[in-house]
Amino acid sequence: MNKYDWLLFLHVTGAFLVLGGAVMAGTFNFAALKRERPSEVAVLFRLARVAVAAIGAGLGLTLIFGLWLVHNVGYGWSQTWIVLALVLWVLASAMGGIGGGREKQTRELAERLAAEGDAPSQELSARLRDPVWLALSWGSGAVVIAILALMIWKPGA
Amino acid sequence: MMLALVRPDSWNFPLFLHVLGAGVLVGAVGATVIIATRAPTLRRLLVGTIGFLVLPAWVLMRFAGQWIDSREDIPGDPSWLGVGFIVGDAGLVLLVVTALIAWWGLRRPERRWPVRAVAVISGLYLIALFVAMWAMTTKPD
Repeated sequence: MNKYDWLLFLHVTGAFLVLGGAVMAGTFNFAALKRERPSEVAVLFRLARVAVAAIGAGLGLTLIFGLWLVHNVGYGWSQTWIVLALVLWVLASAMGGIGGGREKQTRELAERLAAEGDAPSQELSARLRDPVWLALSWGSGAVVIAILALMIWKPGA
Repeated sequence: MMLALVRPDSWNFPLFLHVLGAGVLVGAVGATVIIATRAPTLRRLLVGTIGFLVLPAWVLMRFAGQWIDSREDIPGDPSWLGVGFIVGDAGLVLLVVTALIAWWGLRRPERRWPVRAVAVISGLYLIALFVAMWAMTTKPD
């Protein structure tokens, strides 16, 4: 394996961690929407923390080795697909970061409610169905798919 | 180096679907492993994840892979492609067995071995998926 192979492998590994992590997080969040008991919601949101770790590691790998690949291959830094990919990477990271913060608050609320009798709560239900949080979480996943499309089609290359 | 990175436009859509399917498959199998190891009582979610996410993602990955293989018409029988086919096709057998075991575990909640078996098989398949990803990405020989 030459240097290019290693860089590409680590970049693609990062992409799979991001995409796979988004799928895992989406699975657990979707399952949480169907639960009413706070203890069950808390369990699912704790599972989602593994997905968040995978997404974080993947975002780092894709950026570091993606930039290294651009330099190694000799792509122009101003090519449309590279600029768009970087903009969308920042957007996906920001959306995921804000959504993750709200998710942490929801998990903490679910854990507190579970410790206080585990009765269904309207506040928790409203938080789970908060349209802003849902838009941030699912929107960041859609942005990740858009980045994947850019990597395949490479417009402007 | 640049020449090696150029591919006909007609390959892009099947390649996109193949990589998307593979990415979703990695996430779905990862979710299966996490549920089986960290929340083994959520057996209905385990079965649902395998049935409604893992298997459809495998179908997307495999059929899109076949589609792009028919477009590329790769000469010879390179080992990287063989690794992809083995992990893909043998993976279906493993995934169907995993689904049956998970379903059995749902019907027999007092038994712990089905969830453990699902965790082991899914974990091994997750490793195999990353090996296939390495082979398909770096294309040794």
